[in-house]
Amino acid sequence: MEHPILFISLILQGLGLPVPHGPVGDTLLAKLVSPHMTYTWLVMLFLIVVPKLTLGTMSLVPGKGQNFWEVIIGGLEGFMADNMGKEGARMMFPMLATFALYILVANMIGLMPGFMSPTSNLNITLACTLIVFFTTHILGVKFHGIGYIKHFLGPIPWLIPLMLPIELISHFARILSLSIRLFGNIMAKETLLGILFMLAGAYFAPLPILCLGVFVSIVQALVFLLLSILYFSAAMEHAH
Amino acid sequence: MSGNRKDALRLLAQFSTIGMSVAFSIFIGVGVGYYLDHKVFAGKTSPWLTLIFLGFGVGAAFKNLYDVASRKDL
Repeated sequence: MEHPILFISLILQGLGLPVPHGPVGDTLLAKLVSPHMTYTWLVMLFLIVVPKLTLGTMSLVPGKGQNFWEVIIGGLEGFMADNMGKEGARMMFPMLATFALYILVANMIGLMPGFMSPTSNLNITLACTLIVFFTTHILGVKFHGIGYIKHFLGPIPWLIPLMLPIELISHFARILSLSIRLFGNIMAKETLLGILFMLAGAYFAPLPILCLGVFVSIVQALVFLLLSILYFSAAMEHAH
Repeated sequence: MSGNRKDALRLLAQFSTIGMSVAFSIFIGVGVGYYLDHKVFAGKTSPWLTLIFLGFGVGAAFKNLYDVASRKDL
C-alpha cells in the first residue's frame, strides 16, 4: 500500500530528521519522530491549546466556550459517579478524563486526510493500558493493604492453588483485551479508509466508512473509559 | 441520556469483552506454559507444563464466563 501522506512527517523530513517509513524507527531520534509520536504531541497540543483559547475567562454566568467544556467535564464526572461512586470519581477523575479526552481526540483525528490516529499503533494503546493496569493494583493495595491478595484467592481456601493462577491469568488477559480492542478497531478504520481513498476516493467511496469511523471513535473511547472505571471499582470494593 | 440507554451502553461494553478475554486467557496460559517448558526448564518438562497451563487458561476463560453469567443485577 502507498504510504499515506502525513504532513507532520513530511515537514520533519524536510527539516532533515530521520522519519521512519515503517511504524517504528531504529534509533532514538527516529523513534521520537515516528508518526504516532508526532501525532500524539499534536493531540496533546490540541488538548492544551484549544481549551485555553475557547474557555476565555471563567465566570459565574458561563459564556459559549465555558458552557461547552462544562457540559463535557460535567458529563464525564456524572458518568464516573454513576459507576464508581462520588468519592472514587473525584479521586480518579483527572486521570480518567485525560484518557477519555485523549483517546477520543486521537481516534477522531485520523478521519482527516493528512493526519493519523496515534491509537492505531499498538504501542500507544499498550502504554495507556499498562497505566490503567498498574493503577488498578496500586488502588487495590491502597484500599485493602496486604488483604488485597484476597481478591486473587477465591472464596474457598483449599482451592487456592487452582484459583491463584486462574485469577492472575484473567488479570493479564485484561491488558491484552483492553489494548488490542482499541488498537484493532482504530487500525481497521485507518487501513480501510486508506484503501478506499486509494481505490475510489474520487467517487466518495470512503464516505460511509467516515461516518462509521466517527461512531467507532466515540464508542471505543467510551468503552476504554468504562472498562477502566469498572476495573478500578472492582479493585476498590471488598473481595467477595 | 436516559437511564435505560446508559445501562445498555455499560452492558454492551462489559459483554463485548467476553469473547476477547476467553481467547486471550487461553493464549496467555499456553504462552506461560511454553515459556516455562522451553526457557526456564530447557525442554526437560516438555510438554507437561504447557498442557497444565493450557488447563489454567481454559479455567480462567470459563471463570470469566461464569462471573458474567452469575451476575445478580441482570
